[in-house]
Amino acid sequence: MPHPQSSWPFERPEQLTDALREQGASPEECADLLPALRRLSEWQAPQPEPADTRRLLARLTSALPAFSPVRQAIHEHRQHRVAFLLATARAQVSLFGLAFWLVSALITLLGAAVVLSNVLPNQEVVLRASGPLLAYLGTIIAFRGRGARVLELELVCLPSPLQLALARLVIVLGYDVGLGLALSLLLWAGGSGQVLALTLSWLMPLLLVAGLAQLLTLRLSVQAAASLAYGSWLAVLAIGTTTNLQVLLLTPALLVLPGCIGLALLAIALLRIHTDMHRLLPHA
Amino acid sequence: MAAVMAGDQVALAALVTRHHAPLLGYLYRLVGGDRQLSEDLVQETLLHVLRQRTYQADRPFKPWLYTIATNLARDYFKSAAVRKSRREGDSEEALLHLYDSAPSPEERVLAAEQGSEVRAALAQLSEDYRIVVVLRFYQGFSLQEIAETLHIPLGTVKSRLSVGVHRLRSMLAPVQKGVD
Repeated sequence: MPHPQSSWPFERPEQLTDALREQGASPEECADLLPALRRLSEWQAPQPEPADTRRLLARLTSALPAFSPVRQAIHEHRQHRVAFLLATARAQVSLFGLAFWLVSALITLLGAAVVLSNVLPNQEVVLRASGPLLAYLGTIIAFRGRGARVLELELVCLPSPLQLALARLVIVLGYDVGLGLALSLLLWAGGSGQVLALTLSWLMPLLLVAGLAQLLTLRLSVQAAASLAYGSWLAVLAIGTTTNLQVLLLTPALLVLPGCIGLALLAIALLRIHTDMHRLLPHA
Repeated sequence: MAAVMAGDQVALAALVTRHHAPLLGYLYRLVGGDRQLSEDLVQETLLHVLRQRTYQADRPFKPWLYTIATNLARDYFKSAAVRKSRREGDSEEALLHLYDSAPSPEERVLAAEQGSEVRAALAQLSEDYRIVVVLRFYQGFSLQEIAETLHIPLGTVKSRLSVGVHRLRSMLAPVQKGVD
C-alpha cells in the first residue's frame, strides 16, 4: 500500500536558489546545480498515518517518567530562579523578630557614640569588639531552628537547606553591611577622621566571626559555635591590645584580612552543608 | 520538553505529533528508503530523548533531537553486519549498472516518478555528505542548525554541502519531460 508522501520544503523555486547562494555557490554554479537539486523532490518520504503516531506514542508513554506534581512545581520554580530566591529571602525575614533588628542597630549606634565621644584612647578596639557581636547575634537568631530539630521539615520543603542558609546569611549580612554604611555616615557626620579605617575595623571582624561561626555550626550546636567564634575573637583582641602582638595582629595593613578569611570560611561552610547534612539530622 | 520530563503525557503527545513525520522522513532518506528501519530508529530516537538528561532548556530542541537521530543512524551503519550487507548490496548494484548503463528515456521518466534514481544517487554519497544534503534540502535546516546538529563549524557545513551537491549533479541528469 503506498504511503502518503511528505512535502518538499522549497515551495518557491527561488528558495532553492537562495539556499545555494547562502552556502557560497556563484550564480553560474546555481544555474548548473539547480536542475539536479530540483530532482531531489522526486524521492518523497512516507508520511506516518495517525495510527502509526498513536502506536509510537503508546510505546513512548511506557518510558515516560511518572507524573509528579512536586517535580512539576520544582520545574516551574526553577524557571523563575531569581524570583524564587527573592521570595525565599522574603519569607526568611519573618524569622528575625523586631528585637533582632533593634538590638543590632543599637549596638552599632553605641559603638559609634563611644568612638565619637573619645572616651577611650583606642577607639578601634570598641568597633572591633562590637561588630562581631552582631555576627554572634545573627548566627544565633538565624539558625536557632537547629535546636528545634526542624531539618527534616526543611528537607521536604521546596527550597533546599543550602538555599535557606544562603537566604538567611544574605539577610543578616546585608543588614550588617547596611548598618556599616550607617556607621560610616555617623562617623563622617561626627567629624571623625579615618572613616573608612574605622568602618573596616567594625565590618571585617564581623565577617570573620560570621564565617567561623557558620563553619563551626557544622560540628557544634549553634549556641556553642557562635560563642566559640566570638569568644575566640575577643581573646585575640584582648591579647592583641594588652601585648606587643597588636603590632602584628591588628595593624592597619592587615585590616581587610579578617574579612577575606571570614568570606572564605562562609564559602567553605556553605559548600560543606550537603556533605555534613547527616550530622545535622536528628538521631533516634 | 521540561513538561515531558516531568511526566506530562499531553506534552509528550504534542512533541511526538510535531516531530514524528519530519524525523521519519529524515531517517527514511538517511537509511536509503527502508521504512521499517526508519520507524525503528524514530522510536529509538524518542526513547533516547526520554531517557537521557543532557538536554539544556535554553538551547534549541530541534538540532539536539536530530543529533540523537543522526548518531543512532550512524551507530546502525557502523555495525559490522550492516557494513557487510551494504558492501554486498553495493556490488550487486554496481553489476546492475554495468549491464544497464544506458536506460531508455521512458525508463528514466518512470524511475523519476518513483524517485529511485535520486535514492540511488543519495545512497552513493558518503555518509557525511548525505547527512548534510538531507538536512539542508529535505528537512529545510539552516546552515547554523546543521552546524549545531552535527557539532561541526559552519565552514565545514558549507564545504560538505558544496561537495555533496556537485556529486549529486554529476549523478543526476535532468529528466527530459514529454517523452511518450
